[in-house]
Amino acid sequence: MTDRLQAPAFPAEVERQLEGASPCEIAVGVLTYNNATTVPTVVEVVRTGLERHFAGIPAVLINADAGSSDATPDLLAAAGLPLVRARHETPLAQRIAVPFHGVPGRGAALRLTFAVARRLGARALVLLEADVTSAGAEWLRHLLRPVLEQKADLVVPVYARHRYDGTLTNLVLAPLVRALFGRRLHQPLAGAAALSARLLDRLLDDPRWPAPGQNQTDLWIEATAIVDGFAVWEAWLGRRRAESRTRTADLPTMVAQAVGGLFAVMGRYDDLWLEIRGSEPVPATDAPVIPSVEPVALDVDRMVDAFRRGLRDLGAIWEHILAPETLGDVLSLDTASPARLAFPDELWARVVYDFALGYHYNVVYRDHLLRSLVPLYLGRTAAFVVATRDRDAGAAEAHLDAVGAAFERHKRYLVERWR
Amino acid sequence: MSRRLTARDWYKDAVFYEVHVKAFMDGNGDGVGDFVGLTERLDYLAELGVDCLWVLPMYASPLRDDGYDIADFYAVHPAYGTLEEFQKFLDAAHARDLRVITDLVMNHTSDQHPWFQASRSDPTGPYADYYVWSGTNRRYADARVIFVDAGASNWTWDPRRNAYYWHRFFSHQPDLNYDNPAVRRRMLDVMRFWLDRGLDGFRCDAVPYLVEREGTSCENLPETHAVLKEFRAVIDREYGGDRVLLAEANQWPEDVRAYFGDGDEFHMAFHFPLMPRLYLALRLEERRPIVDIYTHTPPIPPACQWGLFLRNHDELTLEMVTNEERAFMYYAYAQDPEMKLNLGIRRRLAPLLDNDGRRIELLNSLLLTLPGSPIVYYGDEIGMGDNVYLGDRDGVRTPMQWSRDRNAGFSTAEEGQLYLPVIADPVYGYQAVNVAAQARQPASLLNTMKRLIAARRTSPVFGRGTIEFLRPRNQKVLACLRRYGRETVLIVANLSGAPQPAELDLGEFAGIRPVEILGGTVFPPIQVTPYLVSVGPHGFYWFRLERPGDADEPYGIESTAI
Repeated sequence: MTDRLQAPAFPAEVERQLEGASPCEIAVGVLTYNNATTVPTVVEVVRTGLERHFAGIPAVLINADAGSSDATPDLLAAAGLPLVRARHETPLAQRIAVPFHGVPGRGAALRLTFAVARRLGARALVLLEADVTSAGAEWLRHLLRPVLEQKADLVVPVYARHRYDGTLTNLVLAPLVRALFGRRLHQPLAGAAALSARLLDRLLDDPRWPAPGQNQTDLWIEATAIVDGFAVWEAWLGRRRAESRTRTADLPTMVAQAVGGLFAVMGRYDDLWLEIRGSEPVPATDAPVIPSVEPVALDVDRMVDAFRRGLRDLGAIWEHILAPETLGDVLSLDTASPARLAFPDELWARVVYDFALGYHYNVVYRDHLLRSLVPLYLGRTAAFVVATRDRDAGAAEAHLDAVGAAFERHKRYLVERWR
Repeated sequence: MSRRLTARDWYKDAVFYEVHVKAFMDGNGDGVGDFVGLTERLDYLAELGVDCLWVLPMYASPLRDDGYDIADFYAVHPAYGTLEEFQKFLDAAHARDLRVITDLVMNHTSDQHPWFQASRSDPTGPYADYYVWSGTNRRYADARVIFVDAGASNWTWDPRRNAYYWHRFFSHQPDLNYDNPAVRRRMLDVMRFWLDRGLDGFRCDAVPYLVEREGTSCENLPETHAVLKEFRAVIDREYGGDRVLLAEANQWPEDVRAYFGDGDEFHMAFHFPLMPRLYLALRLEERRPIVDIYTHTPPIPPACQWGLFLRNHDELTLEMVTNEERAFMYYAYAQDPEMKLNLGIRRRLAPLLDNDGRRIELLNSLLLTLPGSPIVYYGDEIGMGDNVYLGDRDGVRTPMQWSRDRNAGFSTAEEGQLYLPVIADPVYGYQAVNVAAQARQPASLLNTMKRLIAARRTSPVFGRGTIEFLRPRNQKVLACLRRYGRETVLIVANLSGAPQPAELDLGEFAGIRPVEILGGTVFPPIQVTPYLVSVGPHGFYWFRLERPGDADEPYGIESTAI
């Protein structure tokens, strides 16, 4: 039972390294799994970032590895930075089919990294993704400065993205996080982050650390930080480009993992969100970076096709998940012409809430439930594209803000049915 | 909204796991498995990928029929733990998204049950009519004797009441009298007691025999169905429709069909006749027995489901085969007379198949892909053996083999304290067959089972789809299409021990490239001409037939969705 989990005792080889390690003020955590081709770039970012922005401050690199077979940890060691290496437990299934975030056993890796950072006395821990090649030295400054100088406890990145990048985040995850926890985080699953010592201690002491294998940990950390009154910030970082050979690229799997992770957090930690009303923006470092105008090649017709097929084929599953009026409204949507497809925000909020409730009450097999959300998500995405493709970036932002507001407005629908 | 108001047909997608509390894990070191031990091992079951545990009888009982002789419906047998420990187990299972159903013996009680003691001692008291009494042993003469090895009559004389009492099973298990409304009320109260604790349903034991009528076989009577429908209606009304009732009705499919009613009786029933035919088909190396039984399997209401199994805690029953088939089954699978019991064979899956990994995997593949919800018997996922020299059916109920430690890691008790000895022979003994060893071997049966179960989870087609048999000329190859919504899965199985070719008529799928689900391999495209496959000895394929355009072309958002 996860309730009985104690703070992890360090594996013997980690303990040996810690005994010889010097205390540090800054810890840089890099979670790896077969990232040999990209990790040298990340190491260089760390080295340059520390030299340029935090010269003279003792720092240590912490590498939690999920069992790489391509010598990734050795490449990190070759960088010459003070280093603690640790191998962590990983669910077999996640090593075979690596989740969307690229790190099998990410929760265990985070926990181990947090514990090492605090053992060495770090005042701040910055986490970087091992396969993101667009990182710059200034990312360390953007993420760490609020923690070290402005009493921030959790700094989450906002990447500059084209309006049609991150549609699952923009149309499902961010609106849900906003409604549930009352903060308008742009990208709740951004991968990188910076955390204060105070928050690390709080998390390490928590007896309800998420169960492994369910992709809950990042969202649980954010929720805990928000609800416990820790200072949560955002940092605008520029473009993010990941070069991964391992992360899943299968859309239904990604949806099942990411949305399933959030639904699981809702179920296990409902004390963190049931009472929250309204929302507020998150303070940010620096100015928003103007989203990239690099076009994303979208096939709206295929998305609408997939939505139509869902309407035709998945009714038997949806009728278990969606409330009758929600299903009726979905079936009434006009899909005859992709160019005219509209998906009202209020209906979309009810759809997502019904799926969350269906997951909570286990009305159908959870994996099927999550995968059956995909055609609806594609339909909603197509409607978003149709509504905004001839308009400017500001209008797209306003559209997404309205989606979040609808989730917030209809939270009562969710709460009333939850108990 | 509460969980019980909304969850409905979860059982259609579920993989069940049949477990005996006493056999799984001993938490207190007394040599008998218990709920504390079972709770400790829930993570193993969650990792195996099963969805629902079917717990064999755990009630207070003199254990003369391994708990199917219940002496107190409201208490947990002290050897297995306390009610509080059961509750902790149930909550811990739910925390892992595992559902739990338990056996409920509806037809009879133990002769130690206070109801029977009161009934036999006071022919005019409130419990007088709780059981079926008679001054003669010639009533209901058309009812067969089920346990032919245990007695010659369904009546036993009770000297205290000076009357015969009716029992369809052992004489220490008197049948309840369901013509008595008080009995029906009391049994409903029993069900409420456990459902109120959060139990997800019952596997209802021996349901065809609830009511007796003169001049009939006393099986499957309309009056029995009326009682069962009454129970279902009450449970649906009071618990919102997410609790499952699984019927044990060892009958032909057309007789079992009645237990589904119009979707208003049982949610599930075991498909008893299929099971021996899987073994027959394998031994005969031809698909006919399997295809035949499906032609005799009637359609069932949409919300209902068959329960499929290869083995269970009883003997491999051969009631549902012809005399010739039974003789062949005995010849093929039970040459030692010790292996036979009643009309069946008391062996586990692995020994039945000579511990042949390919045949074991093939039968499991069929179990997981034929229409219905599969039920895995504890220990069969690691290929545990049996001990035919233990009495009755104890040979297939030995302690779970966790490791090569003392007592197979099942218990810290002295060896002699164990409720049954662990299997210790050179082939199936715990030193050779155990969870810890197989967890470390990627190609072990345990890991293969995990992969098969995980693959089954990828699509609702396995639990919900229709079945349609293809008719390749090669009779040794079984091929069928499972369809649900727009998904189609093609299953191909070689029932023979030699490689086999087969030409499959898949013209309607011309242009599609089959994707083998277990390995992810894309096969050559299907043409309008017959599709040639060759399958290794006892090999099998699960193909997903995706139409071009279903998944090939990107939407443009995949790489950046999150």
